[in-house]
Amino acid sequence: MTPIFRILLIVVSLFTTYYILKRIRQSKLQIEYAIFWILFSGVLIVFSLFPWLVSLFTRMIGMQLPVNFIFLLFIFVLMVKLFFMTIELSTLENKVKDLTQELALEEKERRDEQKRLLEETGPAKDTEAEVID
Amino acid sequence: MKCLVIVPAYNEEENIVRVIENLKKNYPTYDYVVINDGSSDNTAGLCRRMDYELIDLPVNLGLAGAFQTGLKYAYRQGYDYAIQFDADGQHRPEFIGAMLDKIQEGYDIVIGSRFVTKKKPHSLRMLGSNLISIATRITTGRRVKDPTSGMRMFNKKMIAEFALNLNYGPEPDTISYLLKQGATIAEVQVEMDERVAGESYLNLSRSVMYMMRMLLSILFIQNFRKRREVKVR
Repeated sequence: MTPIFRILLIVVSLFTTYYILKRIRQSKLQIEYAIFWILFSGVLIVFSLFPWLVSLFTRMIGMQLPVNFIFLLFIFVLMVKLFFMTIELSTLENKVKDLTQELALEEKERRDEQKRLLEETGPAKDTEAEVID
Repeated sequence: MKCLVIVPAYNEEENIVRVIENLKKNYPTYDYVVINDGSSDNTAGLCRRMDYELIDLPVNLGLAGAFQTGLKYAYRQGYDYAIQFDADGQHRPEFIGAMLDKIQEGYDIVIGSRFVTKKKPHSLRMLGSNLISIATRITTGRRVKDPTSGMRMFNKKMIAEFALNLNYGPEPDTISYLLKQGATIAEVQVEMDERVAGESYLNLSRSVMYMMRMLLSILFIQNFRKRREVKVR
């Protein structure tokens, strides 16, 4: 790895960590979600500080350039992350749908119930029912 | 002085009736509310049939979200104290009184701890508990003997803070964070039962993930958080 590439890696990973911590500080990011990114930038920092680690892995799997190993690793990690995020997104969408339906159904049932009560007690209390609602 | 017992329940149809009946029959002075966390079994149906106090979440939120629902309820209803109480029968209601006495001495949080006067047994689970204790000690300088105990009581200020903020799950990292921020925390010796029926949520891979999350959170992330205190009316 060239020194410039190393410096770039260090700067990028430090910046990522800083940005994540800032968002947590502002209470805008759940810790569960931050953990992946903190570990990710941690690996980046380790790789840029100890490039012989990268060279070791590169030689181990018989690749030519350490940079290629880094590309391969991160593309794979990000693909896996993306896949899990798609699953999470799908679950989330389903939950929002369920919630919306639940709210709308509840509201409809409540109005039906009120209408039924109103019919039982006669139309005289019409105005009162409006207030309760 | 009003105290609310919050019972988050996820698929606890085998336990919920026994736990709530015990609470209602033997300790009728405490208000309680069951938070059904979108169970796929008949937990909500049972609670309705038995006419229990129930908040029925239409989707599954996880323990943190479910417990926060209970705290929001406590906050809106103006409760002075709230306690987290497991629906699986592990927590015993006879210790709520002692915890209430303790919190009225002016603590923010009281933990129902298994190891105040008793020694920790040696097991894999307790190794995790020890690691969290050590991490908490490193960041806060304070000793929490049973950080993973789920039986925790909160005062009015904490109820508001937990109810209205993000990243306030009922977990050891929140405890560590609050300790660091100057909250006062006490531990009261309690005994816990083994779960009678149903399955524990924790398996090996989940436990490892949980430990990693807790340690990273306590040792690293919590140091950067900014506190948003909530003014209590």
